[in-house]
Amino acid sequence: MSDVRSIALTDMDRAGAFEDAERTFQMTEDAFRLFYELTARPVWIYLARMTGDDRLADDLLQEAYYRFLRTRTVFESDDHRRHYLFRIATNLVHDHRRAPRREMTVLDDLKVSDDRSARLDDGERAVQRLDLTRAMRQLKPRDRSMLWLAYAQGFSHEEIAGLLGLRKSSLKALLHRARQRLIAVLKQEGRS
Amino acid sequence: MTPWCPYEADVTAAVLERRRLSDDGDELMTHAAGCEICREVLMVTRLLVDDREQARREIHVPAAGQVWWRAAVRARLEAVHAAARPLTWLNGIAGACAIGLVIALASVAWPFARDGAEWLVAIAFTDSSFSQAVALVMGTLQRGVVVMLVAATCLVFAPLALYLALSDD
Repeated sequence: MSDVRSIALTDMDRAGAFEDAERTFQMTEDAFRLFYELTARPVWIYLARMTGDDRLADDLLQEAYYRFLRTRTVFESDDHRRHYLFRIATNLVHDHRRAPRREMTVLDDLKVSDDRSARLDDGERAVQRLDLTRAMRQLKPRDRSMLWLAYAQGFSHEEIAGLLGLRKSSLKALLHRARQRLIAVLKQEGRS
Repeated sequence: MTPWCPYEADVTAAVLERRRLSDDGDELMTHAAGCEICREVLMVTRLLVDDREQARREIHVPAAGQVWWRAAVRARLEAVHAAARPLTWLNGIAGACAIGLVIALASVAWPFARDGAEWLVAIAFTDSSFSQAVALVMGTLQRGVVVMLVAATCLVFAPLALYLALSDD
């Protein structure tokens, strides 16, 4: 991705790239803009919460949309499209986890820029979020994904099972256990 | 047996849609107050939704146009690389074929040169001055084959070397 960023193209190349893109990608630029406005933030937050790294989330977001644009899948609905994007995001997080560790700038919990922290007027809420972030980091990656998709994104059990490659019948139990683990870690965090 | 409550989905939906549990009637609220699973679900959902909403306000995702442009450039680069790949293979195969051809031609030409030289040597037995001339001719022929071989090899390898030197990879 950094290669792409560092490339300087002439105007003619750019025009050519856009023409190629229109042919290569599965949607037009206008349709993409609409879809992106609807999905970029939830997907970014999902990636950031799953990796614990905001910069990595930026990179993975770009990669997720690239893969999405290149797919040949025929989508039946916007929901189908959105689920597909989340599936790509899930796979990217999974791939990243399996890849050898490179230099990673993990943001210290909710270490946010000054302008961000200034907006956190509710101190209690900030502490709560900090606890949540720490607790989530202690969970298994699959538990994190399940909880986020179920309770922050509102995906159904069937959808989550499809996204994470799990059996629908076992999801209820897995989700229950993940929820209990999160609560236990949160209580522990609260005590400490 | 997994502890599970049929109201779980309603509780989650209410929080996700930013409704109060009482908006769905007293039944859900009364149930949730007494159900351990629903209380758990309520707590976890509220925490995660709050976090999501707060993050939504804080984050700055790249503009759609920027993401599109990067994807377009990358697609183009990948297309160029994909198109160049068979050409590289083709060049390699052509080079190998040419080398094979040169070796085959040399092995075919060599017996002719040798026979011709032997014939000339046979004539040389009758005349010593002529035999010297034959030796000269034979030597020239032998050197000629080597020169031809070298010339043919150069003809094959020169374009290949040029291609490798001038290609981007």
